[in-house]
Amino acid sequence: MADTTVSPTPSRRSFFGRFNLEVRGHMPVGRQVLVVGAGILVGLAISALLLIASGVKPSGLLNEFVIAIFKSQRNIAAVLSYAAPLTIVGLSAALAFKARFWNIGIEGQVIFGAIGATLVANHDIGPPALRLATMALAAILAGMLWIAFPLFLKLRLQVNEIISTLLMNYIAFNFLLHLLYGPWKDPQSAFPNSKIFEDFERLMPIGWQNLNLSVPIAILLVLLVAWLLGMSRYGFLLNFVYANVRAARALGVRIVALTLLFALASGALSGFGGFIISTGIESRLTQSFFIGYGFSGILIAFLARNNPFAVAFFALLIALLMVAGQSLQVFYQIPFAMVQLIQAIIVICVAASEFFIHYRLRLVG
Amino acid sequence: MDFLVNWLANVPSFAVPFALAALGLIICEKSGVLNLGAEGYMLVGAMAGAGAMLSLGQHPLLALAIAALAAGVLSLLFALLVIALRVNQVISGLVIVFFAHGLTALIATMRGWTNRAFAGLGDVDLGPLSSLPAVGRILFQQDLIVYLTIVIFALAMHVLYATHTGIRLRAVGENPEAADAAGISVGWYRFGAVVVGSMLIGLAGGYLTVAVSKIWVDGMSGGRGWIAIALVIFARWQPWPALAGAVLFGCIEALIPRMAAIGLQLPQYFVLMLPYIVTLGVMVWTSLSAGRRSGQPGALGQPFVREERR
Repeated sequence: MADTTVSPTPSRRSFFGRFNLEVRGHMPVGRQVLVVGAGILVGLAISALLLIASGVKPSGLLNEFVIAIFKSQRNIAAVLSYAAPLTIVGLSAALAFKARFWNIGIEGQVIFGAIGATLVANHDIGPPALRLATMALAAILAGMLWIAFPLFLKLRLQVNEIISTLLMNYIAFNFLLHLLYGPWKDPQSAFPNSKIFEDFERLMPIGWQNLNLSVPIAILLVLLVAWLLGMSRYGFLLNFVYANVRAARALGVRIVALTLLFALASGALSGFGGFIISTGIESRLTQSFFIGYGFSGILIAFLARNNPFAVAFFALLIALLMVAGQSLQVFYQIPFAMVQLIQAIIVICVAASEFFIHYRLRLVG
Repeated sequence: MDFLVNWLANVPSFAVPFALAALGLIICEKSGVLNLGAEGYMLVGAMAGAGAMLSLGQHPLLALAIAALAAGVLSLLFALLVIALRVNQVISGLVIVFFAHGLTALIATMRGWTNRAFAGLGDVDLGPLSSLPAVGRILFQQDLIVYLTIVIFALAMHVLYATHTGIRLRAVGENPEAADAAGISVGWYRFGAVVVGSMLIGLAGGYLTVAVSKIWVDGMSGGRGWIAIALVIFARWQPWPALAGAVLFGCIEALIPRMAAIGLQLPQYFVLMLPYIVTLGVMVWTSLSAGRRSGQPGALGQPFVREERR
């Protein structure tokens, strides 16, 4: 432990100069939330300055992000319809991260999920009444398929899953382009899109604005994941394993099987997210439907610290950012990349704020 | 024969980005800092290089210097996160990539640099050597950076393995507690390694636009930063094997346009998957043959806190 009675010699001076770094004990959860909240606020403030610097008037800022969105039901519906798939990919990332499997391949799994769903639609597999369910099942299987290979490499050969899942994204993307420029191209479209889905191959509307089933499904999934992590024996075992790996191993907990379960569930959720995006938003396969979801899913899970309810909260926040970003694009010609940049800035600020949860700086002497 | 010469003559310029990025990663990771942000530094370097060419005129070497510098500036943010604030290095690296994706797309779009071609870096004139048959095309019709890369590798080898700085740097990455006890400033050595390494990765990115594509497109590094990370594992954190791996990937990338040029009818998008599939293959091969000597620096990925026991 710290030996604070010995003053450091000049060569041992800390990186912070006259300050010494101390490890904190546990910080109460309430204060942790405050620290993270402060991090988010700093991130939002930096983002606001950035937007003002790129030509948005300060009054416009409030208008685009708050007033314009909550004044119109249509905009609220737009936020909710983006939040649904974002919640699902966020849950996917949270499940994988909980099991210490860095699934950076969410984007590839989303692509493959949508490919699986479109495969069913293109070949008219199953009766129309069960078509949507068949498409969802195909998407789930395709997502699991796409995570299975890196998962196998990780569990059997200790191949780093960060890089392998990421490489799988590029492979999936090229495969998507192959389909869209080749066998699946809709001859009636000038763009590389697949045939548009039939009415019974799209998520049913729920009768308010243009919202469809995606929102209630996302809510159900939040509850399901909350149950899995918080109440089921698998979630309990997982928490136990990472509280003390050696004790868990000694007691015969099958760690590999647990990782397998959670990582496959993560792939399944991402594939299902691809189903939701293609049947609920795009109604067809395009070459860009997945953009941003992999990236946002990871960031949402990080911000939410893998808590499913917090995932839903941050998915709403990012969805709001996306809808506001679209109107900034129209009214101020600010590229959509700004939305991605703002997400990264918020995460950097939150990550930096965690320093104050774990450590304390103390003036030396 | 013509096919072979055309192919091999293109290998060096495809190999250089992998080689420089892998070397930058090695320098950084030898100090114990896991740098998953390589793709981000490459993007920033590539965009800065293209921007400098488009706005400052035909000064390719200046543009490359600006590319390295831009990545160096971005790495200050990364260094702040992982060295000063001890943030998880995986998260920090990933968020740097995301940040760079957004930042480069934003700046390039707002400045109108996207999809605008420029002249770029030309080949060095080596007089009679360049006009040798076959060998001249392959070895002596290359640009300055190709030759400079070999010099940079030799220099890095010297610094890492034959100077006090290099020994201290590696000590910091292998066993920071021991290095700290010996009076070496872990933080500052890591800081230096992160900045220098990231500048090399930025140079690799700048080379992509200034010397190879001569145009900027959003996200154009196309996973090369990630491939470079896999290369470093494959090379067991040693510079010369990393260079050999880079040449291997240069061969594959140079083969793709050649196959199209001789009229081979292959499904285009499957050919484009090739580098990623080969990378996965290389990773499997590395893991099967690694045994216990992976060469990974002992403290890779772990933040150093003097008063915390590992």
